[in-house]
Formats: sequence, structure tokens, C-alpha cells
Amino acid sequence: MHTNNKNRGMRTFLLASLLIPFSGALGAWSVPQELSDKVDALNKAQRSFITSGAAITVIPESQLKHELATREPESLKKLMDDLMTVAEQFGYSPERDMGAAPLNLTSDRFHWRVVTPPALREMKREPGPFSVHRYLYPTSGVPTFGGAKVAIWPEDLVAGNVDVAIVGVPGNVSSGVRDAARAPNEMRALNTIATPDLQSLVKPFEVLSVVDYGDFAVDQMSIELSIGHITAMVAETAGTGAIPMLVGGDTSMLYPGVKGIASERGAGSFGLLHFSAHPDTERNEAHTISDRQAVFRLLDEGIVKGSDTIQVGLRGPDVDASTLQWLRDKGVRYHTMAEIRQRGFEAVIERVRTEVDKGPDAYFVSIDVSALAPAEMIAAGRAEANGLSIEQVRMAIRHVCAAKDIVGFEITDLAPMMDLSRLSVMHANAVLNACLGGIAVRRAGLDPDYVHPLALDHGQR
Amino acid sequence: MTKLTTTIRTALFLTTALTAPLAWADDVPDMPEHVVGDAAYPFDTVDPREEKKEAIELPDSVAPKLELLTDEEIEFLKSGDARRFAGPAKATVEALEKRTPEEVKAWVNAMQHVMSEHRYEEGRDLPNIPFNTESTEFNAWRAERPRSMDPEREDGPIALGRYDGRGGPPTFGGHPLALTKEDLIAGEVDVAILGAPLNMGSGWRDSGSQATTDLRLFGRRMGSLDQYVQVNPRDVLNIVDYGDVAIDNNSTERSMRLVREKVREIAQTGAIPVIIGGDHSLEYPNVAALADVYGKEKVSVIHFDSHYDAWWGGPHLIDHGVPVYRLINEGHVRAADYIQVGLRSAGPDESGFKWMREQGMRYHTMAEVEKRGWDAVLDRVVAEASEEGRKIHISFDIDVLDPAFMPATGTPVPGGLDMRESITIVRRLCAESNVVSFDLVEFHPALDPTYKTALNSAFIVKACLTGLAMNKEGKTAEHYLSPLASEHALDDHYGDQQQYLDATKAEEEAAKSKDENREDDE
Repeated sequence: MHTNNKNRGMRTFLLASLLIPFSGALGAWSVPQELSDKVDALNKAQRSFITSGAAITVIPESQLKHELATREPESLKKLMDDLMTVAEQFGYSPERDMGAAPLNLTSDRFHWRVVTPPALREMKREPGPFSVHRYLYPTSGVPTFGGAKVAIWPEDLVAGNVDVAIVGVPGNVSSGVRDAARAPNEMRALNTIATPDLQSLVKPFEVLSVVDYGDFAVDQMSIELSIGHITAMVAETAGTGAIPMLVGGDTSMLYPGVKGIASERGAGSFGLLHFSAHPDTERNEAHTISDRQAVFRLLDEGIVKGSDTIQVGLRGPDVDASTLQWLRDKGVRYHTMAEIRQRGFEAVIERVRTEVDKGPDAYFVSIDVSALAPAEMIAAGRAEANGLSIEQVRMAIRHVCAAKDIVGFEITDLAPMMDLSRLSVMHANAVLNACLGGIAVRRAGLDPDYVHPLALDHGQR
Repeated sequence: MTKLTTTIRTALFLTTALTAPLAWADDVPDMPEHVVGDAAYPFDTVDPREEKKEAIELPDSVAPKLELLTDEEIEFLKSGDARRFAGPAKATVEALEKRTPEEVKAWVNAMQHVMSEHRYEEGRDLPNIPFNTESTEFNAWRAERPRSMDPEREDGPIALGRYDGRGGPPTFGGHPLALTKEDLIAGEVDVAILGAPLNMGSGWRDSGSQATTDLRLFGRRMGSLDQYVQVNPRDVLNIVDYGDVAIDNNSTERSMRLVREKVREIAQTGAIPVIIGGDHSLEYPNVAALADVYGKEKVSVIHFDSHYDAWWGGPHLIDHGVPVYRLINEGHVRAADYIQVGLRSAGPDESGFKWMREQGMRYHTMAEVEKRGWDAVLDRVVAEASEEGRKIHISFDIDVLDPAFMPATGTPVPGGLDMRESITIVRRLCAESNVVSFDLVEFHPALDPTYKTALNSAFIVKACLTGLAMNKEGKTAEHYLSPLASEHALDDHYGDQQQYLDATKAEEEAAKSKDENREDDE
């Protein structure tokens, strides 16, 4: 479980460095000339604490300068001792801290997410996708993704020669607004998937065999306990030849989604195109998995290669120099909103297209809906000001899904509760449909950029 | 303020200034209060309510169907484990008869497979959820800011506004802020309101730490006059906003210790903790903290809730459905010292009710309210709570109210109390019994753009603050209401005019002599 602790740039910074002398791990902090007298008056440990840079991980640099400049010597010594006491307690101690949350080992449902074995299934039916409707042209009834037929077991996918299995992964545990668990059903309830691809006039549900594959079970008290099952189910689904299109769930669900594909297709055998405001490459968290760590773990465990990973739309609280440097060091091609503002969206998306075209043959496409501007996606679990427009995201995703072999798709962190108008759900469906349309265009043998003449021009003189 | 308290405050101020602030609680009780390292849960986890299904005998007539089964498989088919799938003997025989011996074998193997998957297996399963212990910021979430990082100040509550304490950032009820135990002591604080924005348990419709924030934004009425009883808690009690306790919203289990330490810290000073949640998992650390301070089995709990929250048996040892069971299991509270009010959710089933009855747990369901009427149940609850003057913790899940009044809650159930009933029972309990702690949980503001739930929640807290103030003032008579506020007494409409006039006069005189005594003291 701790494989994510490798190659961690920051990890030695405190505990190790606090074992005097404070050296190396952190960037040294050079004491301004005018403050050096104040620092010299401190004891060796305190001086080392300041000059190693350890102090400014606990107290903002500007405040440190202020305190050095203004405090009396005794008061300054006390402050430094207090800060060092705090810093010493940052790391884990097995005598003091809970290192693992205990579980109820006598539980009769320790794993309740057990798929019903064939011999215990009451109803006998021929395998294959089936309709949940009474009418040939239903307009309402049991909601499914795009009104698709339902499949329950992998043998249904095989028998129906299913191309695309849309499946909910309603994980709700991570840091955003806790409503992502409702996203799959809300996206089913607003029946706006299955619309034709406007550019090519290809109808995805006519070209492709698409099913609603239900939801994969999650443990809403633990991402950790959900991962194994979801990974196995995604792998099993992909193993039938169907493309899993996953509907989260919060973004922690991206990790088992991609991992499941990798366990079927091979780690490092496909690229990851990830639209999100958040890089999700937190490297020093006290947990082993969360939305903020999903991409970190995928890269750290080599499930996808950094050089095959593209991130688009980055902004917000987790985008800082150390994270971008880490991404750069990993070979990730990242595109921040700063780049988009500087160079224009068209230029950046052209760059992304080129990167995808030069990249691996196969891609996993994922979008955390926070990539979109809140004006068009207010129901993002971790909404972030500014962002991409629905048309920009839709066209970029459509292109990749039309131009490349898509091994999987995932949309995450839609929190429907936050948008009473349901516009966000409509846009989430539009994003999913953009990829579905792209896959259909490719399957129909058309060029990704093909435009149907009827769609382009009315042709009237 | 008297000279004496000023001296004490100064002394405390100097003491604090000379000792380093403690980032971690150092007064840990003897009982194992939480797991360290990767240790297992130190208490028994087997739920006595789990009925072990009896093994069955199979008639000889089905013997041919069993010919492919091993002895072990036949034993399994007869066992209680198989009953979950195959049903009682009759259903099992029917199921056997319609299957071939091959199908029977596959059927039994499938049941065995599911049962083995369901249960924890050493070696195959991790016994816990490991954290990333190599993180250099493992404890950063709960690191407390040293006092020395901020300019020196006296200990005591801090008024944040410049207009008689008003006009600053929002606090619970507009009450001043306290940050440390020393602040509570120096301010002789009676009530410390603590935010605990834990939101993992009630995953349905939820919204981060917005709950404690919104109750600060909309909770100004927590500190104002109660017209019914003519008591203003602000005038009687020293009430503070004690900030929020650090929460790890990726692990309820890990958050428990912090909440327990912080609640304990408040109770140790003699102040009454009022905890604003946060989901109902919080009842566990809240009551455990009281047991730390007042002793095991010394505190009774009144659990207002549409759910009884004594479920057990899932893999997790804490979530918002199990705090009652866990508290009893660990010996903090006796089941017989629990009073449940407002139950009406899908569970408990008969075995749950039987268990409560056997344990001596007093429950007051909405079925009882339907049968006996609210007033009868109200009087019964208050009487039970006041027995022997026991110390009481009130755990108030806002879903005890009807969703009409509290739509913004994690697991609403229709058919609940209304605000009039709720205010009365909370005010009466806090006035007439020995309430030492109160929590209000399961508020999730994003569900309610009207702020109705926030305002109503604040009024529930106010009802308790009012009751606590009444208790301190000695207004503990059964169902006390102000004789002046509850009757104009200009005529004898109800035939008891004189009684009200006399009572009003008596109160005026009592207040007057109290004022005189106070002047004498000073």
C-alpha cells in the first residue's frame, strides 16, 4: 500500500532535517544582511532551523523576517523553540499516532461488495443486453445512460458484442462537495446523451453497441477498500472488448478506473489525457489515496507514463511551482490556464492535438468537471474560478476520441446538488457524448475532422 | 470584573507566557482511547444481537441430489451460513428438488464463495486502512499554532468586533472567541461552542465544512433573549465560540481522537461543551470525552434522532450509524443510561428493539407519540432525564425534526417533531435536568438555499443555552414559563388571574433582593 512513497522530493524535509544539523533537504534560507545579528544571537539548533529553510515551512517567510526584525531576544528564542516543537511533531510516530484505521474483523460483511455468483442468480435468461422499456419508442421509464439497454454481467457484454459500457462509479469519499455519488443517476435521469455527432451527423447509438452497465459498488467510508473491487470490475469489463466509460464519483475513482484498464491492457501501454483544474499529484499526504493523489499514484506506480500524460486546464489551490516542477520532471505535458490566457485557447488546443497525435496509439480520456468554468459547470465538487468552456472541452475530447484508440473514459466529480437548474448535468452528459460521438466517427471509418456537407452549409443560393 | 479575578487572570497570563504551548493533549486517560501504530481495535466487535441461524436437518428424500457433495459441503448446506441464501428447511428442500446434482454442487459452492468473500481472512485482507506514515506532513492537519507566533495577549475570551464586541467576523451567536484552555479558565467560561465539521458519515447530500461556518453566519440568535422565559443566556452565562476542531475528512476514525481531546479540554475546565457538527459519528468522541472527565458510566445520554444509531457489524468501527453502539461497547455509557427520542427510520427491527428493552435503554419512538400524544411523551422524557440528578449529554440530530423544518440534513425522515415541540423539550431538559454537554449534528447547508435549516438549528442551540441559563438562575420548576410573558392577566379568562399577578410580583421581588445581595457582595 505504500508504494506511492517512492521518489518523493519533499519527504525528507522535516523529520530527517530536524535531526540536527538542518541540511540539504530543503532549500537553504539565506538570512538577510540586516537580520543576521538577530539570527547569530540564537543557539545553534535555532540558527540551523532558520537557515535550513525548515522554519519557513511552519511560519510564512514574510512573518519570519518581521519577527526577526522586531522581537526581543528572549521572545525570539521562545518563538523558535515553539516552532521547532511543532515541526518535530509533523511526522508519524507509531507510539503516538494512529498509523492505520482498525476495522471490524468479525464483520459478516467485511467485503459486502461481492458479485452474485451465477449459481445464486434466481432468474434464468439468455445473456445479452436488454431493454428496460415496454414500448418500442419510449419517452420515459427506468432511466439509463442515453436510454441505452442494460447489461449486468460480462457475458451480457460478450453476447451483445458491446462496444461501449457506460458504468457508474459513485465514490463519494474525497475532498470535494460530497454529492458525486449522485452523479451517475442524475446523468441517467437527464436523457441528453445519445444525440448525433453534429459535425459528422453520425449517430453513436446506431454505429456502436452501447449499454448501461449499472454501477460498481463502492465503500462510502473508504476509498482504500473500494479500489480493489473497482479495479477488478473495470478490468473484467475491458476484457470483454467493450470500452468502459466510467461516470464518477469523485476523482479518487480515476485511480482504480485507469488501473483497471492497465491491468487488462498493460501498464504504460496507453496515454492519459486529463482535463482538470486540479493536477491531483499531491505527494505528501497522510493518506494513501484521495482525489488529490489520484494522478500521483498513477504516475508513481507507472500505470501511465508521465511522458504519455497530458493535463489541460490546471489552476487553483494545488497548482504551485513545486507541483509544476514535479510534473515537468515526470515528463508530463501540462497546460495551465495561464498558458491558455497567454497563447489563446486555439493555439493551446492545437498543441494538445499535436501532442496526442504524436503520442501513443491508445488513450484513456478523463475529465474532472472542474476543468470547466463554473459559469457552465457550477456543480463541480471542487469548482474553481475561470476555466474552459463547454464547447472547448467538448471539441477537444471529441477530436481525441475520434483520432485515437480509446481504451477508457472517465468523468468525475460532478456534484449535482450544487446546481438546481441541472445545467451542469446537461454539460456533463455533453462531454460524455462528445467522446461517444468521437468513438462512433472513428468506428464509422471517417476522418476525425470530417464535416458532413449538410451540417456545414445550407447550400441555398 | 472584580479585583480578585483580575489578579487571577494576570497570574494565569504570566504562567502561560512562561510555559511552552502544548501542541498535543498530555492528559490521556488510562483506557485505550484510540489505536496507535497499526494495532487492532482493542474491544470486542461481535454483536450479540446477530442471531446465529440454526443448522437444519435435510430429509432422506433429497439424498440423491447431494450425491456430488463432499461431507464438508453438506455440512455447509445445513449450516446457518447457508440459511442466508437457501432459506429455511422447506425452501432449501424445494430448491434442491428443482436442481440436478451438478447444479446443486455449483449452488452450494457459490454460497461458500460468497460467505468466504464476505468475511475477513487473515493474509488475504488487510486488517486495517493504512495511512501514509512516511508523509512528512502526517500531523500537519492537527498541528496547533504556537501562541508565540501571535502578539502577546492576556488569556480570556476575545471580542472580535469594535462595537461592544460586535461587527467582527462571525462567531457562534456573536459570542467572543476563545482559542485555548487558558482562555476558558481566565474567562470563567460556562459554555464553549465548538465546531466539528466532520462530514464523512452522512454521504448523502453533503457540503464540506460549510455547516459550522453557516451556523456562525446565521446563528446570531444563539445569543438573545428568550421571550417565553424572559431569560437572556448572554446575560447569565459566559459563552464563547471555541473555534473548530481539526478534522481529517478522509478518515472519521482518525478524527475521533482530536474531537475527544478538544471536548475533554472544555469539560475539564468545568465549562459545558456545545458541539456543532458535523455528522453523528461525533456523538462517540463527545460522550467518550465526558466519560474521561466525569468517569465511566457516570453520564446519561439523550439521543434525539429519527435513527437509533446503534447499528453495528459493518467493516467500519465508526460512522454516523454506530456511535451509540460503540460508546456502549467501550463502556463509556451504560445502555440503561440512554434515552432515545424521535425514532422513526426504517430500523431498528424487532431484534433491535428487543435488544434496547433487554439493555434497559429507554426509547420514545414517534409511534409512542402517535399513541400517547406529544405532551405525555415530553413529560415522560423530562422526568426520566431528571432522575437522580444524573449528568446528561444531549445529542441532537436535526433529523429528529420533520424535514419541513430541517430539509438540509443528511438522512431526513418525514413525520418528525416540529420546531415548537423541539424548542420546548430542549429548553426544558437544559433547565430541569443536569445537562453537562450538548451537540447538534447532521446539518448540511448546501441542501437548503433558504437558510431555514441554519436558522432553525441556531434556535435549537439557543433553546439549550436558555435552559442552561435558567438552570443557573434557579428557574428549574417543571415547565417554567414567565408569568408575565405567558398571561396578560387583565381579566380572569382562565380563572387563575390572581395566580399570575402574584407570581409576577414574587419574581419582581426576588430579582430585587438578588440585586441587593449582589451589591452587598461587591
